[in-house]
Amino acid sequence: MQLLNRRQMLFTVLIIFTFTLLAGCSSEDASSESGDSTDKTPNSITLSWPRDIGSMNPHVYNPSQLLTQSMIYEPLVSYEEGGEIKPHLAESWDVSEDGLEYTFKLREDVTFTDGSSLNADIIKKNFDAVLENKSSHTWLGVINVIEKTEAVDDSTFKMVLSEPYYPALQDLAVVRPVRFLGESGFPEDGDTSQGITEPVGTGPWVLEDYKADEYAVFTRNPDYWGEAPELEKVTIKIIPDAETRVLAFEKGELDMIYGEGVISMDSFNHLKESGEYETDLSEPLATRSLLLNSTNEKLSDLNVRLALQHAFNKEAMVEGITLGLEEKADKILSTNFPYTDVDIDPIEYDMEKAVSYLEEAGWSLPDGKTIREKDGEPLELELMYDKTDPIQKSMAETLQAEWTAIGVQLNIAGVELTDQIERRKAGDFDIDFWYNYGAPYDPHSFINVVAEKGWGVAEAHSNLPMKAELDAQIEEALASQDEEERQELYNGILNTLQDQSVIVPVSYMKKTVVYQDSIEEFSFPANRDEHPFNEIKVSQ
Amino acid sequence: MISYLTKRLLAVIPIILFAIFLMFALIRLSPVDPAEAYLAAAHIHPTEEILAEKRQEFGLNESLIMQYVQTVKQIVQLDFGNSYVTNTPVWQEVVTRMPATIQLAVSSILLAVIVSVPLGFLSAVYKNSVIDHFSRFLAYLGASIPQFWLGYILIFVFAVQLDLFPVEGRGSWQHFVLPSITLSLALIAIYTRLLRASVLEELEKVYVTYGRTRGIKEKTIMVKHVLRIAISPMLTGLGMNLGKLLTGTIIVEQVFSWPGFGRFFIEAILNRDIPVIQGYVVLAACLFIVCNLIVDVLQLYMDPRISWKGRTES
Repeated sequence: MQLLNRRQMLFTVLIIFTFTLLAGCSSEDASSESGDSTDKTPNSITLSWPRDIGSMNPHVYNPSQLLTQSMIYEPLVSYEEGGEIKPHLAESWDVSEDGLEYTFKLREDVTFTDGSSLNADIIKKNFDAVLENKSSHTWLGVINVIEKTEAVDDSTFKMVLSEPYYPALQDLAVVRPVRFLGESGFPEDGDTSQGITEPVGTGPWVLEDYKADEYAVFTRNPDYWGEAPELEKVTIKIIPDAETRVLAFEKGELDMIYGEGVISMDSFNHLKESGEYETDLSEPLATRSLLLNSTNEKLSDLNVRLALQHAFNKEAMVEGITLGLEEKADKILSTNFPYTDVDIDPIEYDMEKAVSYLEEAGWSLPDGKTIREKDGEPLELELMYDKTDPIQKSMAETLQAEWTAIGVQLNIAGVELTDQIERRKAGDFDIDFWYNYGAPYDPHSFINVVAEKGWGVAEAHSNLPMKAELDAQIEEALASQDEEERQELYNGILNTLQDQSVIVPVSYMKKTVVYQDSIEEFSFPANRDEHPFNEIKVSQ
Repeated sequence: MISYLTKRLLAVIPIILFAIFLMFALIRLSPVDPAEAYLAAAHIHPTEEILAEKRQEFGLNESLIMQYVQTVKQIVQLDFGNSYVTNTPVWQEVVTRMPATIQLAVSSILLAVIVSVPLGFLSAVYKNSVIDHFSRFLAYLGASIPQFWLGYILIFVFAVQLDLFPVEGRGSWQHFVLPSITLSLALIAIYTRLLRASVLEELEKVYVTYGRTRGIKEKTIMVKHVLRIAISPMLTGLGMNLGKLLTGTIIVEQVFSWPGFGRFFIEAILNRDIPVIQGYVVLAACLFIVCNLIVDVLQLYMDPRISWKGRTES
């Protein structure tokens, strides 16, 4: 009898457990309906994003996502097509002749979502909060040269630099950290690096509903000062897995898959070829390059670097590995950035030339051997790649095969991404993959890392005979206030870099988008990190 | 019974201390410098000065023993520190993600039990029948299909093609179906075979023959006696697997966008978020220990011989 009781008890416990579980699920059900079920409200779209949107703090980085930060917060000036800087929260600005004083005239019709209006005081408060944690933001050039900020009057804000720095406006257009949080979003002590109380911005979108790791729903800001977006609602579902994203899209749970590297090249082509969906590629975002470290004894010889650059069929490699999603690159920087449209002779695929360069450099092929030697030492190099990146891996293997043909032994080493970055920063590599930063960061961030040590690029160039001269040119370009002179300097810098072949451009990477045909209009934003939702139109 | 429980509970303390020690040692052995990892996560360009300052703040300059004592002290108070990346307490991050993982783990275990108990039992009783062959087939399937692949196939067939369930996410009961099946298939495979084997073993025992000669109903013998004893190894297995499922079903959470513990842990590893990794490892160890304890207690109920054995031995 007693035994039976025990069993009954167990059974009861199990039943209670089950019901609690089910109750738990169904209460979830009621509360999360808004974000979870496929939203078919007219004039709305649902898309996926690989990571949770984070804390929506305009002044911090990871885990906050650029895409959503740019929906809520706005810059003083914005970066548009071709690198043109346009008024945004500032309707106009003046730069003093010496390039040190920037005076911004603010728009007067802008309000934050907490009802407060935008004025010079709140702009200054945001600048102060950012500068308070300068050490987090030193990567952004303008932060290092801001000497003081001042609210001149209600609608005039002044920024004084310690030295002239021409890309100051470009730097103010980036998505973080110089964007503006409303008064009620600030914590009591004003230190936003430790968190904000609520995401209060001036942007066209308002965060309506959010569940960590699951979804975020944005609705149109009814009091937006600028042109209102056509869409009323944007639902962002957090889907970490690329294949699941595609399946959800094919089922119709998503209207769009947008972002960098969010879909495999196979899947993109599969969706494109199905003919049922719209697909598009952006202008070049950045260049996928090889970094040949000139401090390596073998690579310190320009002839060797040129030989390597001539000795692989770039077009076939890029086409074959990226399935047409990337484009062969001849120039280190693509020409959709400012100051980059310079005349350059592309280095073509030419095995004979490659061989003659190596012969000239004294690397000859001993009888019966396949690897060239000089003074008894074989021509052996190591290419480091991120082992989780299938494109880097395939390219490394292709190069290994191609370069064997001219008698170069390439050892390829797959490493962890964090190791790759660390080794690059320390200059501890022969050959590495490298990418520039894209709009609105380039070309000035690019030339900056060529001159400034700490990122691996200056290190790789440090053995060039004209390095000191190059650094001086870069410094001059960054400080120059004259457009023509600046262009001249860029021409010189880019030509030298191209001729020296430390950076070997491979392909231009592009952003992808796939969308259902209910979306009638879509265009990529000029700023790589900005959201695309203002321009989207859906059929009713 | 009570003394047995006390003994078991006391034994947990050194195990947890050992788990903390292992975690501590492994993190110190790894080449990652916590100060540097913090700066990288906080987007601060590391200079020697800042690094030294952070090392001081994290107590990395103290002796290893002091650091260990400090770690144990904090963990006992459930203070795992703040995540380097989100800057919020690790404990809070865990608590917000735990319910999702628990729900998925429990629903998968329940599904596994509901399917494998009858299937395993029947395939033993009706050995070599259709049902036995079917269970064998299912076992092969469950043991050999990789989980992520099964997940994709289920999504493709039942969500995309047949439109019966949602592809991903969490919310309604429908969201539970595909991830639970994905997780439980492997469990079903194991438990069905396990139960079948142990029922067959029990059927050979003298008490079954004795019961039959006494004229006890076959059904009573099977359900009340054989099954109750035969289920014991399965319970042990369940306990171990519950621990495993609760610590995050990493692949399934990834494939079905399930907002659980495992996904969070993966991000932490990629970001070298040491407080989170540390908290996770300790909690995982505790969960395993607690689950095993619960199973042992359950077994006491199911099979009184165990507690007798314990008593006569002590």
